[in-house]
Amino acid sequence: MLKGFIETSFVDWPGRSCAVVFTGGCNFRCPFCHNHPLVTRPHDMDDIDLDAVISRLERLKRWLGGICVTGGEPTLHRDLPVILSRLRKTGLAVKLDTNGTNPDLLRELIGQGLVDMIDMDVKAQLDAERYAAAAGVDVDIGVVRQSISLISGSSLPHRFRMTVVPGMHDREDIIRWKDCLPPGSELKLQNFRPGETLDPSFAALTPFTDSEFAALEEIIRS
Amino acid sequence: MPLAAGEKQDSRLTGNDSTDLALFVRTTGEDITGWDRQRIVDALLRETLVDRGTAERISLEIEETVKKGAIRTITGPLIREMVNSKLLELGLEDARRMHTRLGVPLYDVEQLLVQHNKENANVPHGPEATNLTLAEGIKKEYALLKVFTDDVADAHLKGDLHLHDLGFIDRPYCSGQSLEYIKKFGLNLPHALSMAAPARHADVLLAHMVKFAAALQSHFAGAIGWDAVNLFYAPYLEELSDREVRQLAQMMIYEFSQQAVARGGQAIFSDINIYWEVPKHFENVPAIGPGGEYTGKTYGEYEKQAQRFAWALFEIYREGDAAGRPFFFPKPLVHITEKFFRTEGHEEFLELICAVAAEKGNTYFVFDRGDTAKISECCRLSFKLEESDLEDAREPWKMRYSALQNITVNLPRIAYRAKGDDTRLFALLTEQMELAVKGHEQKRRFIEKLLNMGENGPLSMLAMKLDGQTYLRMHRVSHLIGMTGLNEMVKAHTGEELHESDEAMKFGLKVIAHMNIVCNRLGEDTGLKLVLEQTPAESTAYRFAKLDLAHYPDQAREMLQGNLEAGEVYYTNSTLYNVGAPMGPITRVEREGLFHPLIEAGSITHVWLGEHQPDAKALADFVVKTFRFTNNDQIAFSPEFTSCIDCGRTARGLTDTCTFCGSDHVDGITRITGYFTRISSWNKGKLGELKDRYRNRFGD
Repeated sequence: MLKGFIETSFVDWPGRSCAVVFTGGCNFRCPFCHNHPLVTRPHDMDDIDLDAVISRLERLKRWLGGICVTGGEPTLHRDLPVILSRLRKTGLAVKLDTNGTNPDLLRELIGQGLVDMIDMDVKAQLDAERYAAAAGVDVDIGVVRQSISLISGSSLPHRFRMTVVPGMHDREDIIRWKDCLPPGSELKLQNFRPGETLDPSFAALTPFTDSEFAALEEIIRS
Repeated sequence: MPLAAGEKQDSRLTGNDSTDLALFVRTTGEDITGWDRQRIVDALLRETLVDRGTAERISLEIEETVKKGAIRTITGPLIREMVNSKLLELGLEDARRMHTRLGVPLYDVEQLLVQHNKENANVPHGPEATNLTLAEGIKKEYALLKVFTDDVADAHLKGDLHLHDLGFIDRPYCSGQSLEYIKKFGLNLPHALSMAAPARHADVLLAHMVKFAAALQSHFAGAIGWDAVNLFYAPYLEELSDREVRQLAQMMIYEFSQQAVARGGQAIFSDINIYWEVPKHFENVPAIGPGGEYTGKTYGEYEKQAQRFAWALFEIYREGDAAGRPFFFPKPLVHITEKFFRTEGHEEFLELICAVAAEKGNTYFVFDRGDTAKISECCRLSFKLEESDLEDAREPWKMRYSALQNITVNLPRIAYRAKGDDTRLFALLTEQMELAVKGHEQKRRFIEKLLNMGENGPLSMLAMKLDGQTYLRMHRVSHLIGMTGLNEMVKAHTGEELHESDEAMKFGLKVIAHMNIVCNRLGEDTGLKLVLEQTPAESTAYRFAKLDLAHYPDQAREMLQGNLEAGEVYYTNSTLYNVGAPMGPITRVEREGLFHPLIEAGSITHVWLGEHQPDAKALADFVVKTFRFTNNDQIAFSPEFTSCIDCGRTARGLTDTCTFCGSDHVDGITRITGYFTRISSWNKGKLGELKDRYRNRFGD
């Protein structure tokens, strides 16, 4: 189920350099997704041996501030607790990226102390139609809500993130999105990037300019 | 002496010519004169060692040919070609060489005037650039004919060695100095139109600095580096508000980044060394302030002012230019030392310079471990300060350093020639280095000759003696021996690239260790200060690759990097790993860093960032760990940008069209070797490399 490994990332964990482990497969089809080979064709990609990853991490760990486990969608895998537990045995902290569609597994991970930070992508305001547009599939909003309250109710550092796409999100959407989320949680917007997107019609879409994006970030801060 | 138009007519009419040929000769002095056989004789006697009788005979034979040819207008260069061919017929090869004419075919000039020369991406396309290229072309030919012996010149032409900056044969390679010289002596250059007393105000000091940098650029081939700029500026800043300091920082960066109006339309390749702490060797040095007077304090007492300026400079770097692009020059080199970590505020400063690295890429992190103190001319060339330099540090205007020349060895070719035999490979390597040293001695003699002509010679500025010794201190100059393509040498010899096995890496280390030993031994033998350098190889990596493809096609074809069909071929720079090896930054700084202690002039590892903007704190953590856990000399992070010429906006990442307005009128920006440039100015070899660079990201 592990499909990729990079030994150092400076972009995946705020304030830390971390290793990144990618799991294959995803239950979403976000049209703007950049990791889509992991989403749509995980079986075409070779599996990476967990033992090999762990032995590399052992060698690198004095350099690293943690391991980010991302996907695809890691919580699709029933054996995720086993994997996280083995990763944490290296002594490194673990951050999980999730779309929040498996609150049961999240509860288990949090309960067993297998994660040190969680980034949850909340793709849109909590409205079935808007959510389906952003995720590319129908999503049970109740399940997403459960994950949000589970994560925000835990004592773990966490963020709720959203990729903002021109045409899909405007100022009002961001205000509503913010209103759906618990007040004490850190929120983070990511600007859409064109290029190799899952839905080719998004490939040439223009992202928000720096100043437009800064204005949207201002909403989150206020 | 050229004749005026009227006189010219008269001299023909009065029958002063030695023959009655009705010929006009267009001379090289932009003049038309009548035919005069005697000129051939005079030239041969003046320029060669042939005897008068032979010279007369040749001139008569040429006259004969000219008569028969019924040529109406004959040019000076044509006569010279005819004489040269006569000299060859007579077997007088040495005389022909001495009599030869240096220059450029008409066709080439036309090409040059119109097409962009991409040997150096820092030279734009324009009339000044063409002048530079033409002058360099002639001086290069001169150097290969007159300054170097045939064996050295041939090694360059064949591509065994690369003699850098041959077109600047009459200048040393690069210069490192501090502001102290102009602070103490003002701007007092030989033969200048006016002399300026030492500056009294910070902005005047900046004007002096910029002009002195331009004067240095016209006396050195390459980089102009400034030591501890923020510290030496500090005594001028006490009266200034934060806003004024910021303004000064902004002026400094814009002045150096917009100097593309100087030699060859080329921005001064300038580097500024910056310290957060007051370096130990300057702590107790009396500070020079306004008017060139001692302020009564030591530099140790100016820490806060120096920090204020360093902070302001990085805030400006962080903003970028008016279009949000990174500034290309001056390149900021921040020295990270043990004392850095003991100095108050270093965490915040480290985060700021890492934010600049993350957002714009400018920062170079120079690691001076233990008691090492360095001055960097550029990111690839630094001088470790010796005992005598630390003495000089008490009078910092004395600290002037230069490398006279850089000669690079083509490593892959040595492996082709060794055919798998270790003994032969090391013997050939030694031989090539000996030849390089011979080249260094020859250039040194030539520069010494020019320098010894003193204040009326061509290097009068370098011969000036404001502090009692010549500006260019020959006893402290160094001579660089560089290397290109270690990775391909190792591949050709062992079958694997440096990153592919520990054995390959071990062999690579053995090669560089051997170079290090030979360098030291030859230094002792010759009395020259010889140091190994990681050649940046902006064009050398491409030139060697092309020449090997021509001379060793079967082997080179297998070893070259890049795209053979597109002609975008290259060797990997210096001791770097394959730029495309899927290798994270940790492994790269660790592994490449193993070479660094063997390379005295300093080394660098590049972390190519691509389009993702990293977290500044994460970078800071990585920088600290690189200092603590490795022997790596220096690192830089290189983001990539696409700048739109139509809408003027800049986006991260390299794209074919503007992300914002869709225009395809865009230019990519990233580091070529040690500096940022527009990708449209790159040579084909580097374009090949750019496509191969591994950008530390999965899934994109």
